[in-house]
Amino acid sequence: MSRETPSGDADPMIKFIAVHKFFGALAALTDVNAEVKKGEVVVVCGPSGSGKSTLIRTVNRLEEIQSGSVLFEGKDVHAKLRGSALNHLRSRIGFVFQSFNLFPHLSALDNVMLSPMKVNGVKRSDARETALRLLDRVGLSAKAQNYPAQLSGGQQQRVAIARALAMEPPAMLFDEPTSALDPEMVGEVLSVMRRLARDGMTMMCVTHEMNFARDVADRVWFMDAGRVLETGAPGDFFRSPQHPRAQRFLSDLHTR
Amino acid sequence: MSLLPSMIDIVRDNWLLLLVGQYPNGPLGGIAATLILSVLGIALAFPLSVAMALASLSPWRALRWPVMAMVYITRGVPLLLIILWVYFVLPLLIGHSVPAFATMLVTLVGYEAAFLSEIVRAGILALPQGQMDAARALGHSHLGAMRYVILPQALFNMIPSILSQFVSTIKETTLGYIINVPELTFAAGQINNRLLTKPFEVYFILAISYFIVCWSLTQAINMIERRIAARRTASVAAESAMPATAASASGA
Amino acid sequence: MKGFDLMAVLLNPEFSRMLVHGVKMTFIIFIGSWLLAMSLGMILLAVRMLPGRIASGFVAIYVSYHRNVPTLVQLMLWYFGISSLLPGSVQMWLGDHNGEAVFAVVALGLCQAAYFSEDQRSGLRAVPRGQWEAARALGHSYVGAMTYILLPQAVRNAMPALVNHTVSLFKNSSLAMAIGVAELTHAVKEVENQSFRPFETYLIATIVYLVCSLLLMWLGHYLEQRSRMAGAV
Repeated sequence: MSRETPSGDADPMIKFIAVHKFFGALAALTDVNAEVKKGEVVVVCGPSGSGKSTLIRTVNRLEEIQSGSVLFEGKDVHAKLRGSALNHLRSRIGFVFQSFNLFPHLSALDNVMLSPMKVNGVKRSDARETALRLLDRVGLSAKAQNYPAQLSGGQQQRVAIARALAMEPPAMLFDEPTSALDPEMVGEVLSVMRRLARDGMTMMCVTHEMNFARDVADRVWFMDAGRVLETGAPGDFFRSPQHPRAQRFLSDLHTR
Repeated sequence: MSLLPSMIDIVRDNWLLLLVGQYPNGPLGGIAATLILSVLGIALAFPLSVAMALASLSPWRALRWPVMAMVYITRGVPLLLIILWVYFVLPLLIGHSVPAFATMLVTLVGYEAAFLSEIVRAGILALPQGQMDAARALGHSHLGAMRYVILPQALFNMIPSILSQFVSTIKETTLGYIINVPELTFAAGQINNRLLTKPFEVYFILAISYFIVCWSLTQAINMIERRIAARRTASVAAESAMPATAASASGA
Repeated sequence: MKGFDLMAVLLNPEFSRMLVHGVKMTFIIFIGSWLLAMSLGMILLAVRMLPGRIASGFVAIYVSYHRNVPTLVQLMLWYFGISSLLPGSVQMWLGDHNGEAVFAVVALGLCQAAYFSEDQRSGLRAVPRGQWEAARALGHSYVGAMTYILLPQAVRNAMPALVNHTVSLFKNSSLAMAIGVAELTHAVKEVENQSFRPFETYLIATIVYLVCSLLLMWLGHYLEQRSRMAGAV
C-alpha cells in the first residue's frame, strides 16, 4: 500500500532518553532509549509484563518516571509543568485505551464533541461538524445518538478513536486497542487504524496483532522485562529476530 | 476551658443514674435500659422479620400485600408518630394501661421488623437461583429449602446489615424520651433539670456516651464483615478445588 | 369512646389552623435543612479530597460523630447545650425570632450533611478509574474532568441513596417537636389534647406524612429514571 515515507531528518515526535521507572522495588522500565519519527508507525510487542503499556503511558504522563526523559515534540513531558501546560500537552497526544473508557452518560456524538469544546474552546457548531465527520470516518455516523451501553465493543472502540482524533493530535497512542474485544470485532478496529496509518498519522501501538504489525508498521520494538531489546523493520524482525528472547517470543506465537 | 472539669464532676456525681436510672428506687433506666430495650427489640423483631420476608416473596397476594403495606408505612411515617399511635392504641387493645417501657418495646419490635424484613429479603434475593433449584430438585419443599438451604446462607451474609440495624435501634430508643421511657436520654434530662446551669456539659456527655457505644459496635461490625468476606472467598476457592478431586476419585 | 368523627377535627377552625401551621413548619424545617445538608455535603466531599491528612481526618470525624450520635440527642445538644454558650444578645435575638426552628434546621442540616456527603463519596468511588484517565488523556483539567465527566456520573450513582436519605430527613423533621417547634407532630399532640380525639388526629397526620413520603420517593424515582444513562442496566 502506498504511504508517505516518514521524514527522517525532522526532530523525532516522541523520544525516550534513558527512561527508568519503578513500581516500588520492581523495575518496570530500565534504560529505554528509542524514538518515533513524524509519520512513523511503531508497534511495540513482547510478552505480558514486559512494560509495553507502562512505556506508552509515560508519553502522556499517565505513568510517572523516576529518571530519564520523555520528549514529545521536543518538550519534556515529565518536567515540573504547570497544570494547564500538562493539560495542553496531553490534548495534543491522542490516547486509545484497552477498555475504551467512553463516557457512559454522554451519547457517542457528545463523547466526541465534549473535549474539543471544553479543552480547546472550539465552537459548538464546529465541534459538532468535526464530530459527525469523524464518526463517519470510523463508520458510525448512524450511531451518533446512541449511548455507549447500546454499542458493541468494536463500535465503542471506534468511537473512542474518533474521540481522540477530534482533538486533532499530531500523534496517536494505542494501548492494546483490540485486546478486550471479541475476535469478530477486532477487524473493524484494525481497519480504522490501518487507514489512519495510511493517511500519515504518527502512531505508537502496543498490540498482539502481528499481522497488523507486519502490514502497517514502519518499525517494530520488542520489549521484555522493561527493556527495549530489539528494534527493526517488520520484515526483518519477523523473518529473523536477532535477540534470543525475541526469537523465543515469536516461536511461542507461531506454535499457538 | 472550665467545661471539661465540670463534665468530669457531673459524670462522677451521676454515673449511677446514667448507668441504671433510678433502680432500685424506681424502674430500670439509663444505659442499661437503652441496651436492654435495643437487644430485646432486635431479638424479638428478628423472627418476625424472617416471617415477613418469606411472606413478601410468596406467590399469594394475601401474604404479600399486608407485609408490603407495613413496610411502606414504617418507611413513610416518622417513628415519633408511630410511637404516639402505639401509646394510644395498645392500652385499648389490652384493656389496661401499659408502662412506657413496654410501649416502646412493642413499637420498636414492629418498626425494626419492617426494616429487617427488607434486609432479609435482599439477602435471600442475592443468592443465586441455582441454590433453590438444587434444593427443590433434591425433593425439598419450598419451606424446607428455605429452612435448610436458603436462609442459613442469606442470614449469614446479612449479619453485618442486621448488626447495623441494631445500632440504628440503639439510636431510635432515644425517641422514648417523648413518652417518658426511662432510658439514657431521659436520665440526662433529669440531671439537666436538677443542675439547670450546665446544659451543655450534660448533653455533651449524653452525646459522647452514645458515640462511644455506637462507634465501638460499628467498628466490631466492620471487623465481622471482613471475616465474613474472607470466609466467602475461602469457600469459593474450596469449591473450585472440589471438581478435581471428584474427577480423580471417579477415574481411579 | 366517642364515635369516629373525622370532620369534628378537620372542620374545627382552631384545630385545622393548628394542623395547617404544623404542615407549613414541617416543610420549612425540611426544605431549610435539606438545602443546608446538600450544600454542606458537597463542601465536605470537596474538603475530603484535599491533600493532607488533616482535611480528610476532620471530615471523617465529622461524619462519624453525626452517624453515631442519635439525631434527637444532636438536636438537644444544639438547643439546650450550645445555645447556652452563645452570647446573651444572640440568645435574646433567637428567642424572639423562632430560635427553636433555627436550631432544628441547623442540627438536622448538619446531621444529614454527613449522610449526603457519604452518599456522594460512594457515588464518586463507583465511577471507574478509567474514566478519570480518559478525561485527563484528552487534556481536561482536574476541574474540567470533575465537572463534565466524573461528577455527572457520581451524582447518578448516588441518587438512590440520596433519595432515601431525603425521605429520612423529611421524617426527622418530626423530632423538632422535642425542642418545641410547632411542626406537624407537635400540632397533632396539641390538637389531640384539646379535642380528645387521638384516633382521628393521628390518622390525619399519618396520611399527610405517608402521602408526602410517597411523593418524595416517587419524585426521586422519576429523577433517577430521567437521568439514567440510556441503555445502562
